[in-house]
Amino acid sequence: MQFEKQVEILAPREKVWKFIWDVDRFIACVPGCKEAKTLEEGKRYAATMTERVGPFKVEFPTTIEVLEREELTHIKAQATGADNKIGSRMKIDLDVNLRAQDNNTILSFVAGVDILGKLAALGHGIIKRKADQVLDEFAQAVKQKLEGEA
Amino acid sequence: MLRRFRLEEPESVAEVAELLGRFGDNAKVYAGGTELLLAMKEGLVQYERLINIKKLGLNQVSAENGTLKIGALCTHHELENSALLKQRMPALVKLEQNVANVRVRQAGTIGGNLCFAEPHADPGTLLMALGAKMVADKGASKREILAEHFFVDAYETSLAADEVLTEIRVPTAGANRKCAYLKFGYLERPSVGVAIALSLNGVVSDVRIAVGCAGPAPIRVAEAEALLNGKSKDEASRNLAQAGAIAGKASQAISDLHGAQDYKEHIVGVLLKRAFQAAVS
Repeated sequence: MQFEKQVEILAPREKVWKFIWDVDRFIACVPGCKEAKTLEEGKRYAATMTERVGPFKVEFPTTIEVLEREELTHIKAQATGADNKIGSRMKIDLDVNLRAQDNNTILSFVAGVDILGKLAALGHGIIKRKADQVLDEFAQAVKQKLEGEA
Repeated sequence: MLRRFRLEEPESVAEVAELLGRFGDNAKVYAGGTELLLAMKEGLVQYERLINIKKLGLNQVSAENGTLKIGALCTHHELENSALLKQRMPALVKLEQNVANVRVRQAGTIGGNLCFAEPHADPGTLLMALGAKMVADKGASKREILAEHFFVDAYETSLAADEVLTEIRVPTAGANRKCAYLKFGYLERPSVGVAIALSLNGVVSDVRIAVGCAGPAPIRVAEAEALLNGKSKDEASRNLAQAGAIAGKASQAISDLHGAQDYKEHIVGVLLKRAFQAAVS
């Protein structure tokens, strides 16, 4: 499942870039994400992703690996996790791009989300819709957090 | 494999509500079990406790003051064979005759079906068009929830954590009240379901249109209803293509194994036309 999102943030690019690397504040913008910790500064992070659709709950202990980093413009990362209780795995390939526009920043990202295992029994459509909602909420949370600080 | 759980067998709604309040997410109401136990066997959900409500009765169908009262624990089989429903609400009988398969109909209950809120379930859509109300009971107090406010999202209802669905109340139709439910699918569960209810008194009025199965939850489409309300039968027929297109978009159709989004939207339009014709003929 591929998702593309774009949001204009009324804050300069340097500020957005700095925010992204402030793990605790950044992770707070990801719905259902908790217990974030840095394993290797700028390279590897760990967090727990939780989500639910009605009575179905998942909890993925997740490792996030930064694969590419271009100062102020681009981050490529991969998040992988498994919920052994339910017997499901997830993988997210994330391409994040920052572009300056006047004094604002256009934050865009492409997320390739794969959910494997029993959770897939819920149906592709339901999972896709949920993932889309989560990514929308995430983009809006980043915007609000940064603009709220302005 | 089904993991170990404790089976609670309360004898009153108040006890059920108390157990639900006490154990929260670790407990679940168990009625027919046709969907819940499958999900538990698959390991998709786990509960420490199942609260068996089958001892509560709640499997009667009765008529009172212009309302049909359907106990939440009526099985689909009981509803498809109810003499009262056959006489007063044949559209619901027809729907129940075609729910899933004979094994599911024998054990599965109408209340369980509504509360599990599986997106491809049939009854919620017709009940919405019929203007049904769900009785949410917690023993000490109860409230009615209109069907269009009952379904929140896929697998989610507006029942509070300690409420139990005990009854479905459906206004009984007068002679001029018509309704129909049609569904289409090529897998075990339907891809699309469309229900319409209307009054025919020279003109078409009080139209209620609901679409289900295509999206995450059944939805009522007031904008499509407005195109038919107050029109003659012929005028309304001419507006059906437009009403169908609106209902298709409103269905929040999801692309999945049951069909692509645009395909489902198209089928909504086709079924709406046919359901209208079936209702008024």
